[in-house]
Amino acid sequence: MGTILALAGKDLRLLYRDKAGFFFVFIFPLLFAVFFGVIFSGGGGSSAIPIALVDQDSTAASRAFVDTLKQAAELDVLEAGLAEAADQVRRGKRAAYIVLKPGFGEAWGRVFWGDPAEVEVGLDPSRKAEAGMLQGVLTRYFMEGIQSSFSDPQKMRGNLQSGLEALQSAPDSEQTTWAPLRRSLEEMDRFFAQPEVAEDTAGTTDEFAGWQPLSVTVSDVAIERHGPKNPFEVSFPQAMIWAMLGCAATFGISLVVERAGGTLVRLQMAPLTRGRILAGKGLACFAAVVGVTLMLLVIAMLVFRVRPGSPGLLALAVASAALCYVGLMMFLSVLGRTEASASGIGWAVLLVLAMIGGGMVPLFIMPSWMQSLATFSPVRWTILALEGAIWRGFDLGLMLQHCAVLAGFGAVGFAIGVRAFRW
Amino acid sequence: MIRFDQVRKTYGRTVAVDGLTLQIHSGEVFGLLGPNGAGKTTIVGLAVGLLRPDQGAVELEGAGSPLNPAVRTRLGVAPQTLALYDELSGRENLAFFGRLQGLTGRRLAARVDRALDFVQLGDRGRDRVKTYSGGMKRRLNLAAALVHDPPLLLLDEPTVGVDPQSRNAIFDNILELRRLGRTVLYTTHYMEEAQRLCDRVGILDRGRLLALDTVEGLIQAHSGKSLVVAQDERGETRRETDDPVAELAALQARGRLISFRVERPNLESVFLNLTGKQLRD
Repeated sequence: MGTILALAGKDLRLLYRDKAGFFFVFIFPLLFAVFFGVIFSGGGGSSAIPIALVDQDSTAASRAFVDTLKQAAELDVLEAGLAEAADQVRRGKRAAYIVLKPGFGEAWGRVFWGDPAEVEVGLDPSRKAEAGMLQGVLTRYFMEGIQSSFSDPQKMRGNLQSGLEALQSAPDSEQTTWAPLRRSLEEMDRFFAQPEVAEDTAGTTDEFAGWQPLSVTVSDVAIERHGPKNPFEVSFPQAMIWAMLGCAATFGISLVVERAGGTLVRLQMAPLTRGRILAGKGLACFAAVVGVTLMLLVIAMLVFRVRPGSPGLLALAVASAALCYVGLMMFLSVLGRTEASASGIGWAVLLVLAMIGGGMVPLFIMPSWMQSLATFSPVRWTILALEGAIWRGFDLGLMLQHCAVLAGFGAVGFAIGVRAFRW
Repeated sequence: MIRFDQVRKTYGRTVAVDGLTLQIHSGEVFGLLGPNGAGKTTIVGLAVGLLRPDQGAVELEGAGSPLNPAVRTRLGVAPQTLALYDELSGRENLAFFGRLQGLTGRRLAARVDRALDFVQLGDRGRDRVKTYSGGMKRRLNLAAALVHDPPLLLLDEPTVGVDPQSRNAIFDNILELRRLGRTVLYTTHYMEEAQRLCDRVGILDRGRLLALDTVEGLIQAHSGKSLVVAQDERGETRRETDDPVAELAALQARGRLISFRVERPNLESVFLNLTGKQLRD
């Protein structure tokens, strides 16, 4: 065992001294995890849509709507005159400008008749992707304003009375046409005039504040439980994959380098069996995979509040994945005779495995035939095993299935590598 | 110390070693002299168990076949290719190879220090090998072979590509090893090295051992006579002779010599006589 440890220690020391290898095994995965975690968490700068807002109405209602938009998290609002607002959009500093036209406040109070409240939107043509979101945000806050009208019976009755008066002032020839609407408004007025309605809603908006045309309940499906608590619970397992791929590539290539450099011959001349030489290399790869995964995990837990659902299952997943990538390392070592060819072919194989396994693009984005293909990539099984222990809520049985597949990949890769290895 | 008995090794149709029978005695420096491709490195590979003979056997006396890893603790090898880790220091390289031989702790540290001092690299031991000159790497390659103090050293062309200073340092190392009673198998295609360092020399060509003896014995048996080249007023005279002094005296008596030189037979002429070609062809 001492000689195997000596071989592994030498390889780990060489990895530490190899700046490029060290970067791809330790630093790159960490940057990957942090970068994508920050992006998906909306950090690294505001994701609010920058708009310029022009209030040409200047009524209490329009001011209230302006205040509402200013407080909206989805928007970054700059209040300005029309000329300045248009200039901001032209210069690309704002995605759009919004103009509340004169009469906006009056129209907002009328729910059942008359022209609708008029809002003019000027868009930057290059930012059309944000236009749909902006329209949704404006509609939402506008509807919330209307909804608040329903929550105040007095305000509602005032609106209804104004509506009825307008209908009564219509020409006699149109009275028959408007009769159904008039009857509806009179019914609604009687409803809001009932004392119990007025009492129930006086001083509170509870009854109607929740008014909405359709109730939709949305929940994530993650094996009965819950999804990731934060984006880093997704980005760190992905980063661990890249660290493992880096280890497999680095140590696989190092075997080729040892053969080309003559040190492999010297190792064979030492009192060692070939099995021990490969065991030393495998142990170094295993230790590096476990080490870098632990490092990423500690950083994820201490800095990014990642909380593994099951530390025990996570240990099992990492150990199985490490065995898998040791086997992959052995397989990669027989793909080229020189360092350059081994590196080129090895990384090409790893990138394909990562691509079809969901290491680059999430699996759910891929077409169904590619998702089926992912079954043949150890990357897919590694991601599922790691996420299973962190947030997917795998039970022991499910985790063992994934670990068995990973160990199988490792065993096949190791067997092919050992058989084809040219000493 | 080590015995080759009717050893044959082929690579496809190429016969690398053909019926080699050879015994290297304890405490001697044995030279294998032959041109590139003669089979020297294959013989070293067979001696260290890296290669398995197709026929015959290789055995370390009292220990068994070097194919057994445990037997290889009695061997130290300096391969022709520099087999060192450039990103490790000289000391780290030697400590690693020492550990593979079973050395640990203080004994390992002491052996590493001694090996570094032996090849005059004690002051550069902590520097990474990638900062060493070619000659320094050759010396470290030798130190890696003897860090565990083996009784038998196999040095495969240990002076290839080194500067004269490092070459002389390696020569001194080998002579010191002989003084210490170590057995050395030394392969080279430099006739001068074999003549200077080796107690016995085997002449090898195309996998066959053509002759084996001391340097003087080889010369006497296979090299022919000395050549006396003399210049007098009548021109140049060339005479082959067993007694150059007597021949020169006779020439002097015939007339006044302007200049002369004596070309003594050497291993080059031995090789030429045995194979019909120059050693460096």
